[in-house]
Formats: sequence, structure tokens, C-alpha cells
Amino acid sequence: MAINVTEAHPAARPAPGPEHGMIVAEELVKTYPGGVHAVRGISFSVAAGESFGLLGPNGAGKSTTIGMLNTTIRPTSGRALLAGHDVQADPMGARRVSSVVFQDPVLDRPLTGRQNLQLHLRLWRVPKEDGLARLAGLTAAVGLACLLDRPVATYSGGQRRRLEIVRALLSAPRVLFLDEPTAGLDTRVRHDLFDTITALRERTGVTVLLTTHYLDEAERLCDRLAIIEGGLIVACDTPARLLASLGDAVLELRTGGEPAAALAALRGRGIGGDGAVVIGGTITIPLHGMPPSRAVELVHALDLPVRALATRVPTLDDVYLRLTGNRISPG
Amino acid sequence: MTTFTFTAVPALYQRRLTLSVRTPRELLVPLVTPVLFAVIIAPALASIIAAPGARTAYMTFVALATAGLLIPLNTMFSGIGVIVDRQQGAQRELLVAPISRASIVTGNMLAAVSITALQVAVLVVCAELRGAAFVTGGRLAWFAASALAFSVMMYAVAELMANRLPSPEAYIGAVPAVAIVPWFLAGTLYPITSLPHWLVYIARVLPLTHALALLRYGLTSDGAAALHNIWGMRSPAEMAALSLAVTCGYAVVATVAAMRIFARQGVQ
Repeated sequence: MAINVTEAHPAARPAPGPEHGMIVAEELVKTYPGGVHAVRGISFSVAAGESFGLLGPNGAGKSTTIGMLNTTIRPTSGRALLAGHDVQADPMGARRVSSVVFQDPVLDRPLTGRQNLQLHLRLWRVPKEDGLARLAGLTAAVGLACLLDRPVATYSGGQRRRLEIVRALLSAPRVLFLDEPTAGLDTRVRHDLFDTITALRERTGVTVLLTTHYLDEAERLCDRLAIIEGGLIVACDTPARLLASLGDAVLELRTGGEPAAALAALRGRGIGGDGAVVIGGTITIPLHGMPPSRAVELVHALDLPVRALATRVPTLDDVYLRLTGNRISPG
Repeated sequence: MTTFTFTAVPALYQRRLTLSVRTPRELLVPLVTPVLFAVIIAPALASIIAAPGARTAYMTFVALATAGLLIPLNTMFSGIGVIVDRQQGAQRELLVAPISRASIVTGNMLAAVSITALQVAVLVVCAELRGAAFVTGGRLAWFAASALAFSVMMYAVAELMANRLPSPEAYIGAVPAVAIVPWFLAGTLYPITSLPHWLVYIARVLPLTHALALLRYGLTSDGAAALHNIWGMRSPAEMAALSLAVTCGYAVVATVAAMRIFARQGVQ
């Protein structure tokens, strides 16, 4: 979807006040009743205008982290600041400078799109003229203007999601939380939404905290990523640097024999010394500068029971596998 | 500490009213049974059991008893909206808005009370058209105050239930015990003094008993009898003031509890 980027948005102004970043999390811990440790001590800082992603599988603690930041979940310990507002000591201030797009649709379906948007403007106390101008500009930008007077119940999944993103931006928040913004949507709609989010971010300059378990989404939308597993951040860097940690290529070998024995044999030939991962019968090995053709020759020379063998560029999935030993998503 | 402000109440009130108007069953379903009772069943019964010359008094008596059914039923139906909000609606958007959580309950409550007031008015007009005769004068304020306080209390109970019960099914299952059972004990169709002795004590502490006695005191010429059955005093105005204080007390306690429970549910 083509989006016009013309109008400067109030949120593009630099934020006054935040000591270390627009979003600051310091040793956040959440333990639910019954001793379920959802988040075990997470710290990070997000600069003004930055897009920061929490990447991890279901149950890793991403949504709990967002919940603590948007004041709907009380941290067991730790501290969090949004634009300088402590989310526990000053929740109203924190809510005033932020907006949330939830994982599931959170809309009044019997109401029209316009009524849903106008409610947001009134609750965030946006001056009427500013609000209506912003509403017109943003809905036109994402192609929703012609649907606004229809009940939301008649919208498609992608249209509802776009409406929610526009709604979240109407109050010119300094911080925008996107909790799995494309979950449950089909591929074409997901790619449309990537464009929508990117363009709206450029237009508004808003600081974004996004959770996802989709690797393509993380790469497309995030300036920096924290990989989260079991309630802990196991790595935090730009997508490019995370990928660079694996070199230019990886070798993927599916063996019909014992993977540990195969890996030991490979290591004996100088392959897989650092960062090799075994999942089931598949061994993934960063080549760290070794030419892929040379690695393939060495594997063939070992006479291993190979079912499939390929070399390819590394993905965030490989990074995730190396860091956690789990596969993050099927595709 | 969250600031306790109500600046968002008008927007939330308008939202809830609009949702109700867009869901006509919320307006009509609670009205059907009471209006049917006041307009068709009560006149039919009057032809059998009302003493000669007492038909009008009987019709008036039953119409006000029916208001005692309409108010709990309508407020309970409004409570379902809270569950819908939580499961499919915009409740989470409201929870992350820079507004006090008490204002969310207040907005919903004002909408429920407004709709209930409209429905009670419809019921009174329908009953009058079918032969009831109401006294409108200086005591009308007792009727209005009682209806308002009782509606507030019943909606607060509905909000409490909606926030404590996990599903619409569980909520619907609890409605008869809260909205209908007290109706049989509160002097709606017969004086509470005709109940077994031990039940009279229970009837005297039910909010509906006090509210209904006030509705009758406000709209009928001999309406102090129900108040006398509760208090046994001589001054109707004093008894009315006491019953209003009881009804308002219930309303305040239930409202505070509903707001606290909602605020607690809003943060995990």
C-alpha cells in the first residue's frame, strides 16, 4: 500500500525529560500467583524515535513485559519509565504519553470506525481541531477514510488492525506499543501492515516497542532487537549485528545417523567449532569465513549418513537457535 | 496513586449509550416481561381477584410491583455489556487510557440508570393507559430518589458480578438469584407481614423492600402501608427518610465495591 508522508506530527518533537531513554526498563520481574515466573529481570532502554523489538516464542514473557510498561500488569519488582514517567508511581502520566495496539482486536464492533477513533480522542483529551485533522490525515494515509462510517463489525481483519494503529497514533503518543501487530493475519495483509507501520513511524517519529515471534517482522520493523527466552533477554543488538555474529553463511546438514557423532566428526575437520546447533537430526553450523563449497567438500569426504545438505545465508532463526536451542517459528 | 477524576465520564457515558442503542435487545428484552405483566397479566388477574371497586388500586399496586422487577432485570442486562467489553470489546483500550478506572464504572452506570429510567417511565405510562392511577404531587421526589438509588445499587451489583464471574453463562445463571428471588420476598404482590415470621426479618433488610415501599409512597395515595410494615412507626415522612437512607447506603457500598473490584481486575 502506498502511503503519503507529508505532514509533520507533534510526536516528532524530541521528548524532554527522560533520563536515559524514551522507554527504560530496569530489572523488571513479574511472578504470577502460583509461582509462575513470566519475566525474571529484564532491563533495556529505547531511545526517542527508535523502534525496538522483543522477539521470542509464545510464553517467553513479551506480552507480560509490554503489560508492565502499559500499566495493566503490576511488576513484582523493578522499575520502568515512559518518557520519564514511572509506570508505578505515575501511571496516569505514563498512559498519557503512550498508546497500545493489542494482540487481539480491541474495538467496539457495533460502533463505526469514526466513533471508535473519536472516543480515543476524547479519552486522551486531544483538542478537537487537532484531533479531527489528525484523524483525517492518518485515515487517508492508510486507506481507511472511506470506511469510517461503517460499523467495525463489517471490517476485515487487516482493516481493523489498521484502524487500531491509526487510533493509537491519534493522541500523538511518544511511545507506541505494538503487541504482535500482525498475528493471525494472512501474508499479503501482513506485508501491507509492514508498509503502513513503517510509513506512520516515519511520519510521526514515535518511539515503538514491538513484540513479535515473526522473524521477518522483526527484521523489517525494528532498529534493535532483544531476543527473549524464559523471561530473560539473551541477546540485544541490531538485526544486522545479530546476524553478523554467525558470519556470512551457515551449513545445514540433516543426518540419518547420530547427530552428536556427526558433529564430532565435523569438528575433527575444523567445521562447527563454535556455535553449532543440533535440533533433532539437523545440525546447523556457522562457517565463520570458510567458503561454503569447501565446507561441502569436507562433509562429503567424511562419508556421513547425510539426508540433506545445504549452505545458505544466516537468518535470525539461526541466531535464536544458537542462543536458546529452540526454533522460534516455522517459517 | 491514580488520580481520581471523572473528566472522561461524559465520553464513556455516551459510548455506553451508543452501544446500547446499537444493540436493541439490551433495551427491549428487559422491558418485555414487566410490560406484559403490567399491561396484560395484571388486568386479567384483576378481573378474578380484585374486590369490586378496587380494580384501579389493584392495577396501581401491581404496576409498581412490576417496576421492582424491571429495575433489577434491566440493570442485570446492562451488566452483560461489561463482560462483552472484556471479552470482545474495547475494555483494554479504556484500561490504558489516561483516565481513572472508577470513571469507566461511572460512565457505564449512568448509561444503565438512564435506560432504566426510560423503561420505568414506559412502564408507568403503559400501566396508566390500562387502568392504574398514580398520584403525582409532592411525594414524586421520593419515587424518583428511590428508583435512582435502587437502580444505582443494582447496577453496581451487576458490575461486581460481571467482573467476578468468568463467562456470560455463569453471569446469566446468577441473575435469577439476584434479580428475581428478592422480588417474591420484598412485598411486591403481598405485604411482607403475610410472610412466615422469620422471613419478615429477611424481607426488612432487602434493599428492594425499602425501594419498593418508597416507590409506592411516592406514587400512590395510601402508600405508607408498606413503609409501616418495615418500620412500624407513625410518621410516613420519617419512615420514608429511613428507607431512602437504607437504599442509598446499599447503593454507596455496592458502588464503592464495584469500583474497587474493577480497578483491581484492571491490573494483574
